[in-house]
Amino acid sequence: MNRRQIARGLTKTLNASVDEILASSDEPITSSAVRIGITGAPGAGKSSTIARLAAYRAKPTKQLAVLAIDPSSPLSGGSLLGDRIRMGELVENPDVYIRSLPSRGTNNGLCNNIPELINVLESHGFSEIILETVGVGQAEYAIRNQADIVILVMQPESGDTIQSMKAGVVEMADILLVNKDDLTGADKVCAELAEIAARGGRLEGWFPPVVRMCATNNKGVKSLSDAIDQTISWQAKHRDNELIAQQRRRYQLQSLLERRIDELLDEAAPSFLSTSLSKGFKTITARCLLDP
Amino acid sequence: MLKNKRILVAKPGLDGHDSGAKIIALALRDAGADVIYTGLRKTPDFIARIAIDEDVDAVGLSILSGSHVALLQQTRDSLREMGAEDMVIFVGGTIPPQDVETLKQGGAAAVFTSDMTIEDTINKVSSILK
Repeated sequence: MNRRQIARGLTKTLNASVDEILASSDEPITSSAVRIGITGAPGAGKSSTIARLAAYRAKPTKQLAVLAIDPSSPLSGGSLLGDRIRMGELVENPDVYIRSLPSRGTNNGLCNNIPELINVLESHGFSEIILETVGVGQAEYAIRNQADIVILVMQPESGDTIQSMKAGVVEMADILLVNKDDLTGADKVCAELAEIAARGGRLEGWFPPVVRMCATNNKGVKSLSDAIDQTISWQAKHRDNELIAQQRRRYQLQSLLERRIDELLDEAAPSFLSTSLSKGFKTITARCLLDP
Repeated sequence: MLKNKRILVAKPGLDGHDSGAKIIALALRDAGADVIYTGLRKTPDFIARIAIDEDVDAVGLSILSGSHVALLQQTRDSLREMGAEDMVIFVGGTIPPQDVETLKQGGAAAVFTSDMTIEDTINKVSSILK
């Protein structure tokens, strides 16, 4: 792989404005790579899990890319991207490419232009792409839209929080991963998750497996990888790919529209914010229509 | 000031602590940069690989061990081998005054010592990466 070329392509796409995105990509969305989404609360072990998983799954014939997203500061716009600290062992792996990304204006656990960034990686022939979300709370589940397989990483102490997460991130997971399973409370969490999983996942007919892992001891990575393979083969038979493509296109459109509206609001004169609500709304929607 | 600039803050060699590197990383973030941090005790080759994959605009080497001249040279060599001889490199840490010129001749775009303020450091980085 030509790492510098891939890296520069990603930078260009990350920084692209709405107009630049619209001018550059009008191909239909084709997914040539399997997209594995890793999400979970801050500190659950997402980066450590990815370090083990990528090392286990990447091969010369099956190259793998990781996009690791961390939050941008709403104050300065800058970011501190720390996922590299846990992924040291992958740096010298010739079959793995890793890129850290700032979330920028996107607040759903992903980052600006994520569909287009994935397309850049697909155009370079990666067979698998791992997407690591920002550390999420209860409601950042846009990852389900961009990933084929969503893995929710939890730790034993999160027992009490599972109840409150039930309706959000837990519901969208295809695989429930209990990391740090050497800690006390792991059995209890696994049992609770098994109950939730028995009700079914986000795709009808799929019951998310509960996998135990201890990433720092490299324990459980084979179970996780096997669970991913089982999910892939189940989806190949049961998933409505046309519907998935439509949902992804909808996300892409919505992201671009939201950013366009942000741009228009930024451009609007301060006096605009003192007019009536309905007048303000109409002004912005009219300008939105005027744009090429 | 550093909007959309990507900067790698790296700790080459055998330093035992990184509070200085972290303070600089946070200051760069607060100036608007996207900052990637390597963690402690990395080799020049490891740092160069990350700099390439992350497509950074600059690499900041934080060195307290006294091996700054050699580590800068090795990092430059690794970057050159990977086709990135044009990468901007900053060096910071406990650098004796008599070594500052040597580091600049050795390819450091700027050298930051402990008697400089954070503000001066950020301003210098911003003017070089403009």
